[in-house]
Amino acid sequence: MAVFMQSFLSGILIGGVYALIGIGLTLIFGVMRIINFGHGDILMVGMYLTYVLFTWLHIDPFVSVLITFPLMFLFGGFLQKVFINRVLHAVAQNQILLTIGLGLVMSNTAMLIFTSDYKILTTSYSSSTLQVGGGVTVSTPLLISFAITAAVTAALYWFLLKTDTGQAIRATAQDREAAQLMGINVKRMSILAFGLGSALAGTAGALISPTYYIFPQVGGGFTLKAFVITVLGGMGSVVGATLGGILIGITESLSAVYISSGWKDVVVFVLFLLVLLFRPSGLMGKSRT
Amino acid sequence: MAILEIHKISKFFGGLAANSDVSFSVEQGAIMGLIGPNGAGKTTLFNCITGYYPPSRGDILFDGQRMNGLEPDKVCMLGMVRTWQKVRPLPKLSVVDNVMVGALARTSSLKTARALAMEQLKVVRLEHRAGFLAGGLPIGERKKLEVARALATQPKLLLLDEVMGGLNPAESEEIIQLILDIKARGLTQMVIEHDMKAIMRISDRIVVLTSGEKLMEGPPQEVVSNPEVISAYLGESHA
Amino acid sequence: MANPVLKPVAGILVLGALFALPRFVDSPYALHMMILLFMSISQGQSWNILGGYAGQHSVGHAAYFGVGAYTTMMLMHAQQVAPWLGAWAGVGMVAVVALAIGSICFRLRGPYFVLASIAVAEILRLSAINLTGLTNGAEGILATDLPPFKIGATVITDFSTKVPFYHAGLALALATITITYGVQHSKLGYFLQAIREDQDAAHSLGIPISRYKNIALVLSAALTSLAGSFYGVYVGFVDPPTVLGLDVSVQIMLICIIGGMGTLWGPVLGSLVLVPLSEALRSNLITEALVKAGVVNADSRTGLFLKENLSHAHVLLYGVLVVLVILFMPDGLMGFFRKLASRRQREAV
Ligand SMILES: Nc1ncnc2c1ncn2[C@@H]1O[C@H](COP(=O)(O)OP(=O)(O)OP(=O)(O)O)[C@@H](O)[C@H]1O
Ligand SMILES: [Mg+2]
Repeated sequence: MAVFMQSFLSGILIGGVYALIGIGLTLIFGVMRIINFGHGDILMVGMYLTYVLFTWLHIDPFVSVLITFPLMFLFGGFLQKVFINRVLHAVAQNQILLTIGLGLVMSNTAMLIFTSDYKILTTSYSSSTLQVGGGVTVSTPLLISFAITAAVTAALYWFLLKTDTGQAIRATAQDREAAQLMGINVKRMSILAFGLGSALAGTAGALISPTYYIFPQVGGGFTLKAFVITVLGGMGSVVGATLGGILIGITESLSAVYISSGWKDVVVFVLFLLVLLFRPSGLMGKSRT
Repeated sequence: MAILEIHKISKFFGGLAANSDVSFSVEQGAIMGLIGPNGAGKTTLFNCITGYYPPSRGDILFDGQRMNGLEPDKVCMLGMVRTWQKVRPLPKLSVVDNVMVGALARTSSLKTARALAMEQLKVVRLEHRAGFLAGGLPIGERKKLEVARALATQPKLLLLDEVMGGLNPAESEEIIQLILDIKARGLTQMVIEHDMKAIMRISDRIVVLTSGEKLMEGPPQEVVSNPEVISAYLGESHA
Repeated sequence: MANPVLKPVAGILVLGALFALPRFVDSPYALHMMILLFMSISQGQSWNILGGYAGQHSVGHAAYFGVGAYTTMMLMHAQQVAPWLGAWAGVGMVAVVALAIGSICFRLRGPYFVLASIAVAEILRLSAINLTGLTNGAEGILATDLPPFKIGATVITDFSTKVPFYHAGLALALATITITYGVQHSKLGYFLQAIREDQDAAHSLGIPISRYKNIALVLSAALTSLAGSFYGVYVGFVDPPTVLGLDVSVQIMLICIIGGMGTLWGPVLGSLVLVPLSEALRSNLITEALVKAGVVNADSRTGLFLKENLSHAHVLLYGVLVVLVILFMPDGLMGFFRKLASRRQREAV
């Protein structure tokens, strides 16, 4: 039972970070109807940014979120304005291909700069744990990252629900044309959404950097996970992505313990295919007539 | 003899009844006009009949066969084909290739299909555009392409959804002649149209829909002189 | 090219020259390049049937490439099955995988097919890593001992040089080109393109959408599988990243994007651009040329950096190419040439 609680709990904690990644992807999809295949690579950029800040300026990875978030926001806005914007009305496959291409450029540029070596960011607390009781322990960095995730998510919900800009973003996500007719600057919303999505992915990158290997190709796996999360939650749904992220975190953590860590990603992808097969609108979405 | 019988067709979108309990039948060889204000449910009815989506309730009998829930390709093979109000050419294919796609429903030989396609292009007077990309045609010619492509599937019943919408008077007149020519060949047609003059000229009978319900049905003269139709339909669109 | 005799004659001459090439060229490196070119053409043509003609953009073709390669290599390694027989077993395996994918994904619209195609390829890659008993896991399968190829009792070749691989590759490339030509000039090709252009319109014109998508998928997957088998046997080694990785899928797709999707010669053009470019990067030819030309000093920091890193840069190049092509040449080289041709025509009028 302790083993179960243990892995369940760490599943929830890592799921929080997954939720952040998924929310970023789903925001971008909601507002622009574009699936960002470079999402994981943006996360990778966030990881290296954190790494650089840590090794050169000795800024703690969790503190560096304050820098990573705005920088990644600008980076995402730049990507949208210079590249994505030009294919907003192109056929879907060109949008997909463009984001794949941008992802490849990001990961391979990182390889040129940092080589393909695995980097480890070791903080004083990287491997420390906390007793929760009942023989269950949790990793300290995971716990801190979950707390920050929760704060960021709460702030994001507040932004989307309570501010005018946030509501404009949601209106654009619901119906782009109607939003345009209502006088919302849809182009600006797209830049904002891509910026926000990237900032969230970058933040997630910062948060996991004390516990994950950092290498140029790390993004691919996260892109796939982000897809699974958003499809699971219903594409475009922020709440769905939040729950989907946590669900994936738990699934992964439990299958690592009860099946094997080599198969945990397979379990996630199989789950994904099953959802596609039986509930393509997502677990949270309305079922189709 | 009725070629198409519609029994109490209803279609709901969430809480909205786009069609409710619509019934009528179409005689072999006749032209049935379908009119009604915007949003009355005309296109929805075509969608249900041709299998684009299944009706929520009701029965569709075509040539004595129950059609509910059949996929559009089966419906087409059984002899019912529609055109789209918002035209849907295959933009990167040439005009003749577009029509060949229709013709290939009945033959596997490209040669036969090409000959058939050219024939249909002549019928709609579009043969001079055969080699052009369909995506580049002006709207009037795209509408004609829709008709040619549908005809190439060799249907028994042709459903035309506002083929005159957005056309100038000369182009509309051409389409009217085309519809009458098609009728002369013995094909049955259902025609959705907003232009009352045109629909009066071509229809043998007219069904009037408002808010998803059938308001009335009858020969053109009877329909236009019906005060309810005038207030519900003409009154509104002339306001 | 207006002369109707010229085209077939030119075609036969080119074919003859290609067939006879190894008689005149005995540099193994040149033959190696040609073999890579043939393989790339085969991959591109195979993807093109599903992605270019039917408009179903699979980003998971590594699944078929890898399953073909693995099946053939496993049969050869463990059961001593000759690869030209094992390859057909690979095709059978791949057809099963493809039909399973098709039945799941083709009921869905939009981006779901793309997502599912990636997921399936990843499942297979991870399985190949984990099923160590079957696939030897991450270490891969090394199998270089080919049985001699005999017809009757006559030994045709014992695979001691690259020449038989050259001819096998040429045959595979020609076969895929011919099959694509056949698809393009048949009902199947028309239906696939109609589905690509407008699925609803195609459906309403009597085309059973799912069936035709599945036909395209199985055909495309089977040909990709053959290319995979060829790759495995030629290199003599397969492991999960090189035949089942996402890079492989992207590269297969890239051949068509650069050349022009949904055209017969697009994958050929794309291969002619991609293969030499990435080989030049991989083998440090560019650095050497720069050093020779005196642009950079071999022992300077830049020179060392280039030498060290440019060989890894071919994937970066893929990325840059994709971005540039999508933004500035969305119909690929074929589309670009067509546009040029029609402009010239207009100017001539
Ligand atoms: N797929 C759908 N989902 C939800 N509502 C729909 C859908 N299709 C149609 N409707 C609604 O059903 C009603 C009938 O629409 P329909 O297109 O059938 O009208 P119509 O008579 O063809 O109008 P028009 O003359 O403008 O073409 C409208 O209120 C429309 O908004
Ligand atoms: Mg309508």
